[in-house]
Amino acid sequence: MSIDLVQYIPWLPAGGAVLCGLCCLKPALRKLAAVICIGSIFAAFVLSVMAYMAMQAGGAAGAVTQDAAGLATSDAAAHGTGHIVTLWTWMSVGSLDVGMSYLVDPLTIVMLFVVTGVGTLVAIYAAGYMSGDRGYARFFAYVCIFIFAMTTLVLADNLVLLYLGWEGVGLCSYLLIGYYYQKPSAVAAAKKAFIVNRIGDLGFALGIFLTLTHWGTLSLADVVGQVRDVAATGAAPTALDIWIPFLLMLGAFGKSAQIPLYVWLPDAMEGPTPVSALIHAATMVTAGVYMIARLLPIFDYAQYALPVVAIVGTLTAIFAATIALCQYDIKRIYAYSTISQLGYMFLGVGVVSAASGVFHLFTHAFFKALLFLTAGSVMHALAGQLDLRKMSGLWRKMPVTAGLMLIGCLALAGFPFTAGFYSKDVILGAAMAKGMGEHGSWLYFALAVLGLITAFLTAFYTFRLWFRVFMGPLAYEMGDEHHGQDDAHPPVTPPSQTTVHTTGPTPPHTPLNTPPTHHQHTVTHTLAHSQPEPPSESPPAEAGTPHAITVEHHHEPHEMSFLMNAPLVILALGAILLGVWEHYGPHFIEHMVETSTATPLVEAHDAHPMVAGLALHTFMMILSGAISLAGIGLAAYFHWFNRPAADRVARSFPGLVRTLANKYYIDEFNDAVIVRPLRMLGSVFFIIDRMVIDGLVTLVGAAPRALGMSFGRSQQGVLQGYGLGMAAGATVVALLVAWATW
Amino acid sequence: MDAPISNIALAHFLLTGAVLFCLGIVGFLTRRNLIIMFLCTEMMFQGVVISLVAFSRFHLNVTGQTFVIFVLTIAAAEAALALGLVVLLFRHKRTLDAHAWTALRG
Amino acid sequence: MNYALYIASALGAVALLMMMPRHRPTPRALGGLLGAMVLGGLWLFLARFLPDDWGLPGQGGAVMAYYYIFSAIAIIAAVRVITHTRPVYAALWFVMVVLATSGLFLLLWAQFMALAMVIIYGGAILVTYVFVIMLATQSGYAAGPALSTTAGATDDSADYDRVAWEPVAAIATGFVLLAVLLTVAFPLPGRPGLEPNAEAAMVSDTDLRANVLTNRPSDRLALQVEDGAGLAAIEAAEGRGEQVSNIERVGLDLFESHPLGLELAGVILLVSLVGAVVISRQRVDDGEAREAGDAAEGRG
Repeated sequence: MSIDLVQYIPWLPAGGAVLCGLCCLKPALRKLAAVICIGSIFAAFVLSVMAYMAMQAGGAAGAVTQDAAGLATSDAAAHGTGHIVTLWTWMSVGSLDVGMSYLVDPLTIVMLFVVTGVGTLVAIYAAGYMSGDRGYARFFAYVCIFIFAMTTLVLADNLVLLYLGWEGVGLCSYLLIGYYYQKPSAVAAAKKAFIVNRIGDLGFALGIFLTLTHWGTLSLADVVGQVRDVAATGAAPTALDIWIPFLLMLGAFGKSAQIPLYVWLPDAMEGPTPVSALIHAATMVTAGVYMIARLLPIFDYAQYALPVVAIVGTLTAIFAATIALCQYDIKRIYAYSTISQLGYMFLGVGVVSAASGVFHLFTHAFFKALLFLTAGSVMHALAGQLDLRKMSGLWRKMPVTAGLMLIGCLALAGFPFTAGFYSKDVILGAAMAKGMGEHGSWLYFALAVLGLITAFLTAFYTFRLWFRVFMGPLAYEMGDEHHGQDDAHPPVTPPSQTTVHTTGPTPPHTPLNTPPTHHQHTVTHTLAHSQPEPPSESPPAEAGTPHAITVEHHHEPHEMSFLMNAPLVILALGAILLGVWEHYGPHFIEHMVETSTATPLVEAHDAHPMVAGLALHTFMMILSGAISLAGIGLAAYFHWFNRPAADRVARSFPGLVRTLANKYYIDEFNDAVIVRPLRMLGSVFFIIDRMVIDGLVTLVGAAPRALGMSFGRSQQGVLQGYGLGMAAGATVVALLVAWATW
Repeated sequence: MDAPISNIALAHFLLTGAVLFCLGIVGFLTRRNLIIMFLCTEMMFQGVVISLVAFSRFHLNVTGQTFVIFVLTIAAAEAALALGLVVLLFRHKRTLDAHAWTALRG
Repeated sequence: MNYALYIASALGAVALLMMMPRHRPTPRALGGLLGAMVLGGLWLFLARFLPDDWGLPGQGGAVMAYYYIFSAIAIIAAVRVITHTRPVYAALWFVMVVLATSGLFLLLWAQFMALAMVIIYGGAILVTYVFVIMLATQSGYAAGPALSTTAGATDDSADYDRVAWEPVAAIATGFVLLAVLLTVAFPLPGRPGLEPNAEAAMVSDTDLRANVLTNRPSDRLALQVEDGAGLAAIEAAEGRGEQVSNIERVGLDLFESHPLGLELAGVILLVSLVGAVVISRQRVDDGEAREAGDAAEGRG
């Protein structure tokens, strides 16, 4: 069992992608695609575990080390566990030598666990979720390509290969967001994601170029080693030293959806739900965090870079959390929540605690994947319905899903002793430690306080969602989609079956936001225990609480199959236990990260300050636990026991609520400031192209035609006419030659 | 054997060649019978061939005569193809008039 | 001197124009007389410039006389080719052109070429032409009724053979070109004449025999006829065996210096053979062909 096994990890899903692509050709083979996909990803997971075990067996003794020279300069024992596996030389131009080579160190292993582990679980779920979809094999081919690109990203030994994986996951994100390509909104969202990411990737690419010119190498280990050497001499960073991390940071902001490039992520929820869980919550969006953690010394050396990362992360966290408060689309709430949690991770990395950022990344992957997948279950059960206002009390119909989502919500909200509680607490503790120690600065103190406020908001909006969906009276309205958008079997219900029951005080066909086509074959129930309440629960939504419930005869909310719930159970276990295991157990992630390139330049040896007679971390734990409970309690009051109160509160701040519901009008702002001017410029160019360029081309084309028309008359078609012309021409040429020669 | 002819004597032979060549052109342009037109191209070949052989004698170099062989080759090939085409055209319109074919009229 | 050439070209053009067949009667005999006078006058004029040995060292005036005879035959025959109204006669006049040309070749020491001309042109190509002419005009003169009103009322040839197309323009073009060519060909008094390219001159016979034709059959031939010692002695005395013949030189040049050209010529001949077979076998598929075919079948 050798650590070299990692070289097969990306290529298993790559082969799986090819096979899945072949499965696209034959409808009979479609079902096989899921098996191939799950199998290849699971095999990659097994290889990751084997590589980890090999590393544990040989790594402590400082096994490896073709590149130890670069790493060993500061502390070989602590940092020298990187192992480089070179498959082949990708390009070799002058001094630039880029290898198709993988760097395996503990941070890589952690990321591989996340990618392949969560990837396997999500793929199993998707096998059930996507069944009946026409693009079944295509979906799994994309997922395989994604896993290939993501593992390449985390395994990359140099920045170019990392960039390859970076763009690869971006491509898969684009493909999967636009998976339902018949839907214009999905296509628009895919384009938006791609274009916004381009802005960040431009910075990333520039950062790579500068790295090459400045450090002369693109190898991650070499660059980090050189930075450590330079930093050890105490030299002040040069302008390039500062520019490089800022440019790289731009790429991370784009990929990880931070201000100002976060706008694509909420729209990315147009993709299938398993994609949202895998790519847009658990793995791809954390690539930015991974990249900064991986190159932490570079960011650390430029003294302004990490504070900026921390500030942007915190602002994004609270910004996205406030938006999430007033959204009604379940997946969008989770999308903003993801942005917010990514902000936490950036805060963690930004306070030079890569371990805390990666730890939160790790736990977040579990509970956010769980949340998305349970949201997918709800959506599945309600035929595509995602609007909070159109569902209530669903725990009666789907108790297992309710329980699983509760676990995920608890972890996200930071309920004590769940995984999210510990990982969030490590970040906030690290930030507060930087803010309160003897070298503390007010900046980090403020960031920590903002983080605590965000934690409260998180708890509130998370449970707002959960209480709305699963608690309260049973009421729901089916969506207009069918399982997995199965285009092959359009719903056809004969009109004769249509019956309308009106047993409640509300008239039939009261405000239903279903499309008109569905009115014809839906049945309106008003359930007996649906309480008549004022129709408006919040200003922007006039539809009100679903007191009128539309159900299709043959389709009721139901619990998911075992195949789909089993991976959720594993995720739920992870969401509960990972934190306790890490905190009271081996400090696995902390140890792993500290022995990778992410080790900070200067080990933090601050004496941990005491607050109220407790160690800072303990105090923060108690504080954030209390905040979380408060948030949950408040949400319970407003959204379970006394929903009208929520509406009253909302009505008293109409402006604020409207602003939040419209996401601070950021999309409108971007549209007005960036998109419209560009589009106007584009139309100006279009007109210039049409009028001037095309006019010229047409003119150039018309001139010979007119000439030809006029000379065409001289064509008599007589053979000897052409002969005469030829002879006369030859004579003229001979005449000219003779004349010119003498 | 070793003495070249004078350039005036050469010019006399070139005169004969040029006259044949130009008479060939005139014939090609004025005669409307397809066969005679091709006969006139053969006559232009004759003019060129006389010039080639005269230059060969003038420069005391037989390459000029070698080229006559190539000209003969081309003439033979041309005669074969051209006469085949003439027969084909004749089958279509039952006439050898070149002016019967005016598909290129603009 | 140039003016003489120009005047001769212009008068020649007029003469030819007079001889061209037209709708109306043309002064054909007058044109022929004028043409003969122009040609003779030009030669007389040019003869002044010839050196004492007539420009043909070691050969003398007899050769030049043959030149005048063969050239005159060639030119007269060529004029008849383009003025004769009956295709078969035109082809026969062309045979005369070929024969006269062969005579000129003999004067130029190109014996092989002279014979090749007679055999290939006169024998093969022209026979093909005559054959096709006969084939195309087998049922009398296919194209239309004769123009009884024209001068050639007694002539039963086709209309398109009896009337030249645009003779003025064609003759003007042709004779301007002729004037240009003659101007270039004849050295002006003030201009240095063309000089033979000494580098291109052929290798002497002795060198050729010593270095290239080391195993020359004619030497062995001389030995074989040794018992007829008289013949061998005469040949040796006259040095005939020493001379490398024209055909040997042409063959040497062809195979030593132009092997690629030779191969290409072979390919061209093969391709034209195949092409001729294909063309004459196939009906070109256009509307008229189909109509004709349908009509034929309908008749059948």
